[in-house]
Amino acid sequence: MTRVLALVGQAWGPGGGGIAQYNRDFLCGLADRGCVDAIEVLPRSGPRRPETPAKIAQRRPRYAPPIYAAGALVRALSAKWDYVFCGHLFMAPLAAMVARLAGAKLVIQIHGVEAWTRPSILQRVAVDGADLVLSVSRHTRARLLDWSTIAPERVAVLPDTVDESFSPGDASVLRAAWGLTGARVLLTVGRMDGRERYKGHDRTIRALPALTQRWPELVYVVLGEGDDRARLERIARDEGVSEHVKFMGAVDHATLVDAYRLADAFVMPSTGEGFGIAYLEAMASGTPAIGLAAGGATDAMADGQLGVAAAESDYLERVKDALSGPRPAPQALSQAVRRRFGKAAFLAEQRCVLERLNG
Amino acid sequence: MCGVNGIFAYRNAANDPSPGELAATRDRMAARGPDGVGEWWSECRRCALGHRRLAIQDPHPRANQPMVSDDGRFVVTFNGQIYNHPALRTELEAEGARYRTSCDTETLLHLYARRGPDMVKALRGMFAFAIWDVERRGLFLARDPYGIKPLYTCDDGWTFRFASQVKALLAGGAVSRDPEPAGVVGFHLFGSVPEPFSLYRDIRALPAGHSQWIDAAGPREPKPYVCLAAVLADGAAAPAPAHELNERVRAAAGESVAAHLLADVEVGVFLSAGVDSGAMLGLMRDAGAHDIRALTLSFEEYAGTAEDEAPLAAQAAARYGARHEIRRVGQHEFTADLPAILEAMDQPSIDGVNTWFVAKAAKEAGLKVALSGLGGDELLAGYPSFADLPAWRRRYGLMARLPGLGALARLTLQAVAPGLLRERPKAAGMLEHAGTWGGAYLLRRGLFLPHELAALMDEGEAREGLHRLGLTRRFAAALRPDPGSDVGRVCALESSFYLRTQLLRDADWAGLAHGVEIRPPLVDIALLRALASSLPAITPGAGKRALATAPRVALPSAISERAKTGFTVPTGAWMANAARRPNAPESLVRKGLASRGWSQLVFAGQANTAANSAGIAA
Repeated sequence: MTRVLALVGQAWGPGGGGIAQYNRDFLCGLADRGCVDAIEVLPRSGPRRPETPAKIAQRRPRYAPPIYAAGALVRALSAKWDYVFCGHLFMAPLAAMVARLAGAKLVIQIHGVEAWTRPSILQRVAVDGADLVLSVSRHTRARLLDWSTIAPERVAVLPDTVDESFSPGDASVLRAAWGLTGARVLLTVGRMDGRERYKGHDRTIRALPALTQRWPELVYVVLGEGDDRARLERIARDEGVSEHVKFMGAVDHATLVDAYRLADAFVMPSTGEGFGIAYLEAMASGTPAIGLAAGGATDAMADGQLGVAAAESDYLERVKDALSGPRPAPQALSQAVRRRFGKAAFLAEQRCVLERLNG
Repeated sequence: MCGVNGIFAYRNAANDPSPGELAATRDRMAARGPDGVGEWWSECRRCALGHRRLAIQDPHPRANQPMVSDDGRFVVTFNGQIYNHPALRTELEAEGARYRTSCDTETLLHLYARRGPDMVKALRGMFAFAIWDVERRGLFLARDPYGIKPLYTCDDGWTFRFASQVKALLAGGAVSRDPEPAGVVGFHLFGSVPEPFSLYRDIRALPAGHSQWIDAAGPREPKPYVCLAAVLADGAAAPAPAHELNERVRAAAGESVAAHLLADVEVGVFLSAGVDSGAMLGLMRDAGAHDIRALTLSFEEYAGTAEDEAPLAAQAAARYGARHEIRRVGQHEFTADLPAILEAMDQPSIDGVNTWFVAKAAKEAGLKVALSGLGGDELLAGYPSFADLPAWRRRYGLMARLPGLGALARLTLQAVAPGLLRERPKAAGMLEHAGTWGGAYLLRRGLFLPHELAALMDEGEAREGLHRLGLTRRFAAALRPDPGSDVGRVCALESSFYLRTQLLRDADWAGLAHGVEIRPPLVDIALLRALASSLPAITPGAGKRALATAPRVALPSAISERAKTGFTVPTGAWMANAARRPNAPESLVRKGLASRGWSQLVFAGQANTAANSAGIAA
């Protein structure tokens, strides 16, 4: 009887970003394995009793750290656990304590920027003593090894996986609805957060004057919300390209899928991606993606074999190349992405990675 | 001796290995293997192995590598020598193995096929190899018990790479050059980079006496298959009578030298005026070698003085009927060779220059293999550390174990007598470090003490490097299980640190830069096993006396007598001059060569050569 206790910020329930998605993917993958019998999820936020797949039970959320910690410690002692899964670095000290109390092996998941700089000493101690640390990208793994003394063999890369719903298809209806018929479209999907300016919306807006000179029909579509939107709108005005930028806000999933399909290129010249799931979603939808050779983005781009990982100084030129060259065959691109980062690949990789726990 | 490398894209998301990278890494090691070059690709193109060959056993191209087993299941790329290969071959043939070469490489294939990972326990020799298992789609790596042969690995989370040299891995162009502070700090403390670290975060040495398995799940933690401390502990548990020492050393060292003569090419010897190399020569003759070529390095600066080793070496050569060749070398030649030395130096080192020149002489003489007396001092208690460490522990150990006393004493000295602290840092460090064997060893071998690092490098980097280096933990690990005697403890420390990370590394890069394989018969796990029970009773000088009389005709007494005072070599001064900057503080220059100037020179050399190699790869 193998039982897993999962400490996460969020997993099942409405809302939640990429990390909640990753937690769900990871825990579902675990539940799919014959050797895991039960998984109990302790979230900080989410609904009281969400629907979860078989073998997985999500407890009611407890947001306040002391109450959350007390609850986790009580659970650690009240049942037998083989593994403790920690969904975020900031919970690692608690997870380490829980794992120790329960006599269980500790698996810590890291996602990106939170592990790029030296964290608190308690977090370092927790990571140094972990049985396995999972990182979504090679870059984040390397940055963690900069400050941790954990054996490198205990830090494995398990990339994000792209949802099956992102696939090539006809998006002419959405094109028409958004008034983009006949336009060339650059797309960015991502929060416009004043604390996450590394995503590079402004870099693309500043490139627009040069691009629209050659492609007057060019439109830059931005999906997502955030407190940085006003600043970006101002930059667009200052650059004289307001007419070429459409902020479409947050959209539902079906619209998002079509938005990826209608774009001529997905652009996100970000310097701070832990992995960059949006690149995968775009390419799985058959749309070429352009990012920077920085952070985890090189993983999503497979070092240039799937998408473009440009040097910062080359960004504009690479966008021009994408707009002027022939568009890659959408199905072939989508399949290539799925071969590396599809659900089946994720499950196979997860199985492999967890084998390391057995020595 | 050879150069090995490989790339294994174990993760589904990773790109296939690039043929250009494989070749660039392999050919950065061209000097290690001038006689043959090869590569092998798995059918799935996810694993590639490379090899540069220095042909010593079965020089025929049929023994080129990577070598594939007859049934196609196993592929090996191998650097080293397996001295018990003839005995293993007999065993394996009795079990049904069919050989197509007379090379020890093939023995690895047959042995792995039959015994799996446990096969390493049967090997006697110096080795670093990788075996790809076609069926299990995994890679098995192993390194010899002492770490005579190097093996560096790099894992980025998607792709695993390995090579015989750090610079070769960098030359492939795909490995991060992000620094490893533990390697930098280790270099400043010891004058060489302590394993498993390198100067780069992502490049690590497979620890000596360990094997490692890598498959689709990625690299597993290296597993030890032998432990020097355990061998010493076993010996101490059943001590041999002291009066048997000479006879045991004669038998065991003689047997080891005989085993180390296995080759299809001529085997020479590096002969200094010391006991160790002289005994090698005498034992070679006892083992039936004749017309032995003995090479001696002689420094122009010392010609005609008592420091010149050539006359005494000539006596030894004459005694054993060797053909003696003396190679004279001076500072001029050192200066001319310095760029090539820095280029060949795989990891920064404050030594190895002697070996560079004696290996150069061997190449000029047409020798590919030479025995060396390396390791005699570590095994037979020849270093002052064997007397000093126990004495310091007795004298200061108790006080040093009082928490904080040492640091308090240092801070007090700093306040009241900073000059004394600068001039005699080690004396001042006694109360801080002599409480443990590891601390006492650091006092003995360290060029600097941890608190002095701030003068050499950025303080934050020093602190981080020390933390990552984890000296206390590493010293303790080298002494686990407890070797059971003072001699055993010092032997374990000297063998695990100075011998492994300084002397053996230097012998590797400096020898192979000239395509010369240096064999150290006194660094041999079978020899250690044979003598472990005799070591606890060794008194100062007794070990070396036993070695001096080990050959049937003992070494000339002039050599055994002279050994007590020792020799100096001018190479340290040459290096200091080369590195010296006009404003370098005198105390730094005097204290050791790991001065900022020298380390910067070495680092700069390292950076330049790596950049050049990367240019070639691109």
